[in-house]
Amino acid sequence: MYLNADDLTPLYMQVAEWLELEILNGSLQSNEKVYSQYQLAEMFNINPATAAKGLSLLAEQNLLYKKRGLGMFVAPQAKEKIRAKRIKENLQQLVLQLVAEAKRLQLSQAELIAMIKNVDLPKEE
Amino acid sequence: MKNVECNRLTKKYGSIYAVNDLTFSIPENSITGLIGRNGAGKTTLLKMLAGFLLPSGGTVRILGQNPFNNLQVAANLIFIDDELALPENMNLGEILDTAATFYENWQPDIAYGLLDYFSLDLRSYYQQLSKGMKSTFNVILGIAARCPITIFDEPTVGMDAAVRKDFYRALLKDYLQQPRTIILSSHLLGEIEDLLDSILLIDAGKKCLHLSMDELRSYAVGLSGNSKLLHELVKEEDIIFRQQLGKDKIYLVVRNRKIDFSAARFKGLEIGPVPANDLCVYLTAKHKGGIDDVFKHS
Repeated sequence: MYLNADDLTPLYMQVAEWLELEILNGSLQSNEKVYSQYQLAEMFNINPATAAKGLSLLAEQNLLYKKRGLGMFVAPQAKEKIRAKRIKENLQQLVLQLVAEAKRLQLSQAELIAMIKNVDLPKEE
Repeated sequence: MKNVECNRLTKKYGSIYAVNDLTFSIPENSITGLIGRNGAGKTTLLKMLAGFLLPSGGTVRILGQNPFNNLQVAANLIFIDDELALPENMNLGEILDTAATFYENWQPDIAYGLLDYFSLDLRSYYQQLSKGMKSTFNVILGIAARCPITIFDEPTVGMDAAVRKDFYRALLKDYLQQPRTIILSSHLLGEIEDLLDSILLIDAGKKCLHLSMDELRSYAVGLSGNSKLLHELVKEEDIIFRQQLGKDKIYLVVRNRKIDFSAARFKGLEIGPVPANDLCVYLTAKHKGGIDDVFKHS
């Protein structure tokens, strides 16, 4: 493993991340057209080349597909793929950090698990 | 196509090199940030690109031509700084209408629209404007001209935070409508970094870095932790900046060699990104400890 990408998140990855979340929460459905690089540039006040790089990052992972002349669309199964990927990469990393911090604070495993169980997330709409 | 090309470009004032052996090129339709400390040579460089100054050595090519005394380049390039010599006997509206006759792609709607948005009166005179309002009017000229080569030298001098923000957004929106080659110099990289394709960092007239923003973001990492542990992991020559944090804790900015620090994380090492602006300050600093070095022995 190299340096954790999360700690050095370049802008195009943040764009890709935002699009992943839009797909995860259902704002963008399978086979729906996604924003163009120019729309993303305007939305986030960023250089359009950066936005394009974010889109192609997702296309490389087959989460988006290109229709010539029409733009990028959400791939079928993109939501499931993103979910699986994020569990494997992000969540695993977060758990590592969590356990490392618990260890620094000399928290027992039972205490840590109790803390996790007690987390009460506000309901999302 | 490369719209701007410099080869071993040099400008000497007496025995001092303001620009020293600069070689770089900028592709068409991109936004480049020119960053450097005071006196790094930013303005001298930009004025040579604009054809206002004759180089002492090396070559500069704009759209494939030497910009000095060149009408073709002058028609396709606009240079905006805070020393524009605008006529005193014309009001702002008349200046805009005159500018329209100089530039082929001039956008009157955008010029008047921006003037109105920023509450500048068509009938007022340039000399009567405040410093910030002058800068605002200057950038309106720069945006509305839609020149294939658009150069802004410290365009936001005197602007308040709200106007600066609006200017950058106006620039981006107009760029999306009409892509062109934009060079923007600033002290405040933090404000413009999101807009940029690439950054050219110069120090004492020399090129320090010319990277895409993504490359710049992964150019260095910030590490903090036990100083003994860190010095074992990191090579001295890779250290860009060093700051003591408490008794045996240290913060280092080091070149990103893709070293695997994951094992060290469990020993309390923290890894973080380095803001692009801070990195540029560190890279052009004369002392690795920054201003703290001055106060070290007191």
